[in-house]
Amino acid sequence: MFRVRGLTKVYGTGAAEVRALSGVDLDLYASELVVLLGPSGSGKTTLLNNLGGLDVPTAGELQYRGQDLTAIDEAALTRYRRDTVGFVFQFYNLIPSLTARENVGLITEIARDPMPAEVALDMVNLGGRLDHFPAQLSGGEQQRVAIARAIAKRPEVLLCDEPTGALDVRTGIVVLEAIQRANRELGTLTVIITHNAIMADMADRVIHLSDGRVQHLRVNEQRAPASSLNW
Amino acid sequence: MLSHLDRKLWRDLRRMKGQAFAVAMVMGCGLAMMIMARSLIFSLESTRREYYEANRFADVFVPLKRAPNSLAARIKEIPGVATVQPGISVQVTLDLPTLDEPASGMVRSLPDFTPPELNRLFLRTGRWLSPGSRGEILVGEAFAEANHLQPGDTIAMLLNGRRQEFKIAGIVLSPELIFESRPGAALPDSRTYGSFWMPYKELATAFDLYGAFNYLSLALEPGGSERSVIAALDLLLTTYGGRGAYGRADHPSHIRVSDEIRVLATMSIGFPVVFLSVAAFMINAVLSRLLTLQREQIAIMKAFGFANRQIVVHYLKFAFVIVAGGTALGGCGGVVLGHRLVMLYHHFFRFPELAFRADRTAFPLALLVCAAAATAGVYGAVRRAARIPPAEAMRPEPPANYRPAFVERTGITHLLSHTFRIAVRNLERRPMQALFTIAGLALATGILIVPNGFRDSVDHILDTQWDTIQRQDLSIGLVEPDSAEVRHLFRHLPGVVTVEPTRATFARIGFGHQRRQLGIQGIAPNGLHNRVLNERDHLIQVPPGCLVVSEKLAQALGARVGDELRVEILDGKRPVRNVRLVGLAGDFTGLTAYMDLPSLNRLLGEGDIISGANFRVDGAHRAEFLRALKGIPKVSWVAIKDSLRENFRQTTAASIGLIQKIYLVFAIVVAFGVVYNNARISLAERARELATLRVIGFSRREVGAVLVTELVVLALIAVPLGLLLGTGFAKAIIRAVNTETVRLPLVLTASNYAFAVMVVAIASTVSALLVLRMLHHLDLVSALKAPE
Repeated sequence: MFRVRGLTKVYGTGAAEVRALSGVDLDLYASELVVLLGPSGSGKTTLLNNLGGLDVPTAGELQYRGQDLTAIDEAALTRYRRDTVGFVFQFYNLIPSLTARENVGLITEIARDPMPAEVALDMVNLGGRLDHFPAQLSGGEQQRVAIARAIAKRPEVLLCDEPTGALDVRTGIVVLEAIQRANRELGTLTVIITHNAIMADMADRVIHLSDGRVQHLRVNEQRAPASSLNW
Repeated sequence: MLSHLDRKLWRDLRRMKGQAFAVAMVMGCGLAMMIMARSLIFSLESTRREYYEANRFADVFVPLKRAPNSLAARIKEIPGVATVQPGISVQVTLDLPTLDEPASGMVRSLPDFTPPELNRLFLRTGRWLSPGSRGEILVGEAFAEANHLQPGDTIAMLLNGRRQEFKIAGIVLSPELIFESRPGAALPDSRTYGSFWMPYKELATAFDLYGAFNYLSLALEPGGSERSVIAALDLLLTTYGGRGAYGRADHPSHIRVSDEIRVLATMSIGFPVVFLSVAAFMINAVLSRLLTLQREQIAIMKAFGFANRQIVVHYLKFAFVIVAGGTALGGCGGVVLGHRLVMLYHHFFRFPELAFRADRTAFPLALLVCAAAATAGVYGAVRRAARIPPAEAMRPEPPANYRPAFVERTGITHLLSHTFRIAVRNLERRPMQALFTIAGLALATGILIVPNGFRDSVDHILDTQWDTIQRQDLSIGLVEPDSAEVRHLFRHLPGVVTVEPTRATFARIGFGHQRRQLGIQGIAPNGLHNRVLNERDHLIQVPPGCLVVSEKLAQALGARVGDELRVEILDGKRPVRNVRLVGLAGDFTGLTAYMDLPSLNRLLGEGDIISGANFRVDGAHRAEFLRALKGIPKVSWVAIKDSLRENFRQTTAASIGLIQKIYLVFAIVVAFGVVYNNARISLAERARELATLRVIGFSRREVGAVLVTELVVLALIAVPLGLLLGTGFAKAIIRAVNTETVRLPLVLTASNYAFAVMVVAIASTVSALLVLRMLHHLDLVSALKAPE
């Protein structure tokens, strides 16, 4: 689905120049679950932001289903995010003034072919907390609302940036189960950023990033269920 | 060298410069008005005081019919009297070749060989009268300017019926005539009325008053009682036709300056209070937001050992920098505006020199008032922030608690969009902040009503009231009251359409302990010309034997319709009667009492006598009519309605117009400031939330809708409140500036309200657009990182 060639992202100029990505080559395929591993500063988040249409690369090729994402305008990028991409962030980023159902409903208002908010929340096992505000939910629950919000539009791509970063192990596993289920049942290409190497076991492919380059790529013969992970 | 904390302060300020500037501007507007008004008060008061002192302005004045000069010595014996200056004051008719209509004036005597003890003149150009001279005259500056007279010119006047020519020696000013208008007329007309000074001997001889006086001024000893001197004078002069002594407080020229000072005093308090309250609300909003953002920084400073006091001081400094900016803006604005307004006073008031004098005490006062407003605005928020334990503050703030908004609890949830829900829940969660914004917006709307209210009421006077009250084209006064026979003469003047007789007399009207000296106008029964209308512009018929007075007079006396007023006539046989008050006139200048003409003549104990007439004249024959009037020696003065109206337009209306424009600009600044500030704060507080919406696929427009919905909801609540508030402001201010000399009716039009709504709407739209533009620069990537 994604074809990435020589992707480069440079912030700043001159002495202040920071090379976040320096020539990433990568292909991502439909329905697979990919884990992006790497130390902080390795360019994981920059890569994810470029894939998600939040940022544009400085150089290189970035195609989604043959469409060149580096060449389209702001409005088209918004449409791309709206119709194609689901995001899950480390700090959930829920709208505090909307309930769980409404946070998800917000997306179903603008998406092309959404599932009902209740169904999305059921998928992350939050069917019983539909009318709770974020302040009334635990961190794990908030993150699962965020996942429900991301998958409710039936996205083709689900991008998760450190989805368990702010959670303890047990809660983290519940969240990963939700992501894995969405990947399995909806067939969504799922990319998870983490620096937790243990999570690599649940992926189809594991990509190691370092200094803005792909260091190596591993294919797992067998995906481990999220519930079996422990760290 | 700045401390690091101060450097932080500086950078915070730079980051919030838009809002800091908005607050400083609103503060500046309030202060500019305060400094302007206080400086003008100071300029007028100090200039007047110095003028009075330098030229020995008298303390008590009394016009009378005739008394021998020897009486002056007896008057000097009255306890409390320091200096007595008898003299002559007469009304004369002038013959100016440049004028179509008759002009008139007042001539006062000057001692033949010595300078006067009191009310000394100020020589503007030319020279003083030569001792013992004849045929020389000094002319008041206002009249000389209006008629382009110079020293060396000659001027013809009728002295006691005899035409005489005089050479102008000099152009002068008198402390008695800082404001000059014909006796009984509230509005000046310098073209047709002037003041003149001649040697005593020449004037007294012409009027058969040699060895006598008919006007007396006196100065009191320090500590002398004005009240008892006036009482003694009135008693002593009754037999000499005394028309009632009065002090400075009742002196027509003195009153006018005092009235202006009173209006300024109202302005220097009322408006700045409103502006500074708005500024306090704004600065509170700005600082509360900063404190929320810097919650963790505060915790870290405390963890490092900064005391609560240091933190409070740090953030108060933030407010005070804005205050200092506002004071600087306000100071400059006040001085500039003050200079412009002082120029306007030159149209009204004649001082040897009236320059703008900044009231230096106003600046520290302004700083103090502003600092107090800022402290009131921020102190609570700062203290609350400083009191949080560091450990708690260092954790990111938990998601805010929300609940369904009130409108949703009514069961219409399904009708509301998510954007709308976000907006209203957000407003309801922070009711105080919403309330402050509503208060600020409502005040901004309210102060927009006042300036246009002024404009509309001046227009109402110029366009409607004037014509509804005075339907004549011009009025004339006779040198002496005459028998009604002259009516026939008037009726046959060229171009006369209608003529109605009038009778005016001076009287002292009292109720309880209050009394005022003023003219009683006798108006023709069922007259069509000079009509008496109440405040709602409804015609009042004055029943025989009863009195209608200016509403302001009734207010000054504390009398109500139905009360019996004590009327002491100061002319002729000086009868004293109790007359019933039956109505209040909504007239807009001076204090007047109205009676029907036959009743007034009966009260005076005279027959069918008139002292003037009102005319409607065919426009085509007007010049002819005026020329004919000039040939009638009995006619003392002519008041042409259109020229009075023009005069009013150029003086009172112009000054109100300037103040109105200043207010309007200020009100618009406030409206913009409040709306912009509010939108900026919403944007800053919710940057993360809005960026998240953008990230998950909302377009800029859709995200903007959240902010705009909030603004619109606030404006919808605030604007109606503001219109109500504005109505109240307009009422209060019009009431406060209404004086015994000029009054404005309260006129509030739909277009005034519509204008206020429009300005707030435009301000809101422009601010919203500015803020929406900032949405372009919203950093989407940073929203995904940890909350600040």
